Formats: sequence, C-alpha cells, structure tokens
Amino acid sequence: MSETHAMRDLRDRLILAALPHVPFDGWSRRVLREAAKSLDFDETMGERAFPGGAVAAIEHLGELADRRMAEAAAAADLASMRLTERVAWLTRRRIEAWADHREAVRRAVTLLSLPTNGAAAMRTTWRTVDAIWFAAGDASADFGYYTKRAGLVAVYTATLLYWLEDESDGFADSWAFMRRRLDEVSSLPKMREAVRQRVGSLPNPLRFLAEKMPARRHFGVSRR
Amino acid sequence: MTKTTGEDHMPGDPSPRELLERIIRVDQAGEYGAVRIYQGQRAVLGRRASCAETLRHMEEQERQHLDCFTRLVAERRVRPTLMQPLWHVMGFALGAGTALLGERAAMACTVAVEEVIDEHYARQAEQLGDDEPELKQTVEEYRAHEVAHRDAALAHGAERAPGYPLLVSAIKTGSRLAIWLSERL
Repeated sequence: MSETHAMRDLRDRLILAALPHVPFDGWSRRVLREAAKSLDFDETMGERAFPGGAVAAIEHLGELADRRMAEAAAAADLASMRLTERVAWLTRRRIEAWADHREAVRRAVTLLSLPTNGAAAMRTTWRTVDAIWFAAGDASADFGYYTKRAGLVAVYTATLLYWLEDESDGFADSWAFMRRRLDEVSSLPKMREAVRQRVGSLPNPLRFLAEKMPARRHFGVSRR
Repeated sequence: MTKTTGEDHMPGDPSPRELLERIIRVDQAGEYGAVRIYQGQRAVLGRRASCAETLRHMEEQERQHLDCFTRLVAERRVRPTLMQPLWHVMGFALGAGTALLGERAAMACTVAVEEVIDEHYARQAEQLGDDEPELKQTVEEYRAHEVAHRDAALAHGAERAPGYPLLVSAIKTGSRLAIWLSERL
C-alpha cells in the first residue's frame, strides 16, 4: 500500500516539475527528462515513472487534479449547497486550480484529442466527471449514473475548451458559459419526468389482458 | 487461517477490487430484476390470486435486498450495471409473461430464478474472504431468503405448471446469462 503511494507521490512531483517546461517543449519524453533533472533525479526517472510516455503523464495529471479537487471539496462546505450548485462549484474548482498552467493544459488537451489517444482521453474525462459526481454526493445506482456522467462530460469538456480561450476577468465568461450548459443538461430529466407522469396515468394493459385470457380459470386464478 | 477476497486470483482473473465490484454490481442488478419479476407477476395476478399474499411478501423482501445493495453500490463506489434498463423491461416481461400462463407457471418461474440465485450466492459466499465479513453475512442471509421463496413457490404447486421442465430450464439459462452480463457490463 505505502509502496504504491510512494510511486504516486513521485509521479506527482515529476508532473508538477514538468508543468513549467511544457509551454516550451510540449508534452514529450524530453519534458519528463527535464522534470527529473530539475528534481535532482537521474534523468531516466521521468521515463521510468511513466513508461507510457507523455500520454501517461497527462493521465496522471488528470488523476492528480481530481484528487486535489476532492480534497478541496472535503474542506469546503458543500453540504449546504444544492446539488447543481455543488456540481458547478466542483467543475469550476477542477478547472480553475490550473489557471497558472493554462498553456500546459491546452497542450495536454491538444495531445489527447489526437485520434490515437482517444481511449486515454475518454478514460481521463470519465474519471474526472465521476470524481465530480462522487464529491457532489451522488448515490445513484441505476442508469441515471451513466446519464448524469455523460451529461457532465459534455458540460465539462465544453467549459474546459471555452476556458482555454477565455480572456475575461477571473474567467467570469467561462463560469457563465458553464452555468448555461448546466441549465440545459438539467432540464432534460424534468422533460423526462413530465413524459413519465403522463404515461403513468394510463391504465394497466396487463390486468385487462389477464381478464380476457380464457386459460386463467384452468390455472386457478379466481375471477374478480 | 484467514483468507482475503480474491487473494488466489491468477493472471487473467479479475483483481480483488474488481471481484468485489462484480459481486456488488451483479447482486444489485439481480435484486432489481427480482423486484421487477414480482412486480410483473402482481400486475397480472392482482390482489385476489391465492398466492397474492406470498407474492407481496417476496417482493417486500427483494425490495429490502435491493435497498441494501443499492446502498453498497454508492458506499463502495461501484459502477452500477449498464444493463439496468434492459432488466427493467425483461424482469417485468418475465414476471408478467409467466403470470399470464397461469399462477402455477408464475410459481415455476420463481423456482427457476431462486434456484439460480441460490447457486450464485453460494459461489459468492465462497469467493468472499474474511476481510468482508459484513458482505459475506448479507449474502448468506439473503441466500436463505431466496431458498425460502423457492420452497414457498413449490408449496404453491409450481411443479404442476404446464411444461414445467421446459419452462424452468429456459428461465434458468436466461438468468445465468443475465448474471454473466451484469457482472461484466
């Protein structure tokens, strides 16, 4: 257990050391080597910690960011907020925390958007939205688990892309954009509920069918 | 000698964590399906059938099981099954379909399903190690409930249902397929 944590801490340190180099060198094995050197490690340490190369390093950055978001959420008073507020707060926190390294995030998004990195992109995005819903206290155990996450994937990725180009003060435009997207997504369950209620008021067709079945007397169902 | 869950897994087998996830996922899916089957049967048979009270009691118990596993899915951070919308429809259709064949066929359906679940829970109890005493206890307890459901169904004349062997083996095959899918998806 402690051994895996030691490895995780090492990777965290390498990633944080790599971030300032990324705007110049991009996400590459060279950046990982530079990061190792700046921490006074042997320069092969970068590649040994991330045998999957730059993409693996980006995936770890995502995991580190999710972890920090969860820690921040535990320290904040989320319980007093409404569910949508919690999701909005967490999404904003997740993105905003990396404002100092926006260029590195942009480069990461660019690399992950290559078709060959599609699986990694999906994995890391899904883990992020899962972390947001978990921190928001979502306990759904039905198909809603998937629709909630899929909806947030759309909001989160759109907001992240908007934020990368946002020049407004304190990224105010990004958060307004996120709010509009969240409103759109959260109106879907309301529509579904309206349809469900209308369908639910129809009579049960099965009871009627059973009534008409001539066989039912043979199998001992008493007639009403 | 203590044994932990999944400690003897071989390369290619699910890891201990994955094994635990599979167990909770499939159990939640199974209890959900069971509730839907009883709902389907009760939707057809109504309140006046001779087995109505038995059905109500069984559904009540399945609902308690479902609540427990639903809580575990959230607590243990397990991904619920993707097949849930399908089980929603298929469970109800199985219940309603067998009930339309008659009360005894509905009971035969219960026998088939509960027998498969009995085997399934027995296997899980064996897989779970001493590091999961609560879950193991739950599985054992629910297994006893399911066996009681089967016995109740047999007492209601399940074996006199038309085409009993055929019906039971078809439903058993379907249930095993459902278990296999719910563990993985």
